Amino acid sequence: MIISQRVSSLLIVVTLAVSLVITLLPMPATMSAARPAFYTMTVLFWTANQPQRFGPIAAWLAGIAIDVLYGTPFAEHGLAMAVAAYVVVKGRELLWSFPLIQQSLLMLPVFAVYEFMLFWIDGVAGLDVNQWWRWLPVFSSALLWPIWAFLLERIAELEVG
Amino acid sequence: MLGLSDDDKPRFLGRRIAPGLKLVALAIISIVLMMVDNAHDSLSTVRGALAVALEPVQMAAEMPGDAANYLKNYFDRGNLIQENEQLSQKVLLLQGRLQQLAALQAENERIRALLASASSINQNVLIARILAVSPDPYRQYVKLNKGSSDGVFVGQALIDAHGIMGQVTNVTPLDSRAILISDPNNGIPVEVNRTGLQTIAQGTGRSNALTLPFLPNNADIKVGDLLVSSGLGGRYPPNYPVARVTKVVHRPGEEFLDVTAKPTADLDRGREALLVWNSNSNDDPPAPDNAGKSGQPPAAAKDDASGASDNKAAQ
Repeated sequence: MIISQRVSSLLIVVTLAVSLVITLLPMPATMSAARPAFYTMTVLFWTANQPQRFGPIAAWLAGIAIDVLYGTPFAEHGLAMAVAAYVVVKGRELLWSFPLIQQSLLMLPVFAVYEFMLFWIDGVAGLDVNQWWRWLPVFSSALLWPIWAFLLERIAELEVG
Repeated sequence: MLGLSDDDKPRFLGRRIAPGLKLVALAIISIVLMMVDNAHDSLSTVRGALAVALEPVQMAAEMPGDAANYLKNYFDRGNLIQENEQLSQKVLLLQGRLQQLAALQAENERIRALLASASSINQNVLIARILAVSPDPYRQYVKLNKGSSDGVFVGQALIDAHGIMGQVTNVTPLDSRAILISDPNNGIPVEVNRTGLQTIAQGTGRSNALTLPFLPNNADIKVGDLLVSSGLGGRYPPNYPVARVTKVVHRPGEEFLDVTAKPTADLDRGREALLVWNSNSNDDPPAPDNAGKSGQPPAAAKDDASGASDNKAAQ
């Protein structure tokens, strides 16, 4: 669906809250390292789906929530989200011209940009975590994107009717 | 943004703001915020307010684990009985040791008084429940259910039954956050219990490993050595177990040994921890810079007038 109908703000907030909870669920460290960035996926889905309402600014605000919950420097995740959302806004038409399965490949660099922003800011802040598994969520998020986007699309359709 | 319809998109002087410009503005705001956050404590009220607003999300995330625990305990009566038995045995054992401890402590204090040493082994403790562990796999911290209203202050050390876990870094009225010794940003001054060798143990980001990066090649250290906190630098109380050396690698041509140690505390498993601080803080470190901002002196030290006033004085 290239041009999507308006969904209610409530739906956006609820889906964001649910994915935030999934992101925070306690897990063993090994699984946690590879956990797809559900929250980021939801933010980017709404950016792609409702670009008139959910742009970089909304993504930035959404990222602040992660900063508060993770205790990371203020606006670190906000900035990463905003940059990723900007990429999605710019490439949105290209994105929707492909079926969901193939969007996986297109989203891979977007998630990589997101993770790289975090990696970069962490590095500047002196938190130098350069382990290969740091990049696992990029792949797991991209892999899961078709399923996640499909679910969110169905939910949006249910509401719009 | 949320709630904006197509015709009232953000405008500036009648023009639509280009998304690129928006991004640049956001980037500048973010960088300023990060710098301010890094340098000052002034954003902590904002952070605290937002944290309270996001509390339901945090609670929802904790629920499945808590529920599973509860159900497990509910249906596993045999297990509970067994655990209860084990615990009462442990209590008996510890009480037995405690009787000795009182005498030893008194003796220690007399001897220290003879040496005219001001240091004290009196330590106040406060039990805190670990509410959440870091969901970010690259930062090692825990969230505790005690905050400044319970007397928690920044810089307080956190221990469990087996050793030092970390120290409090942020305090809100209702909860607090403690960085663990395994966080890559954390270093703890330690000494090798066997030899008294002083060094620093640094976190690696993994909860089962610390590194000792500053030991020269000829240092006397071997696998199995216990590292205890030395109390130097003043952030951590002295003489608590910290880690046990698991690996010592001599690298020819390098000046320093490659030493890895495993923390003795259960950094990633425990549900409860103890906050400790000196009630008699004559030789205490200057309290951390932002302790003053986090509010009151420890409530548990209030009955101990000297402790409370010392704490204030230190700030």
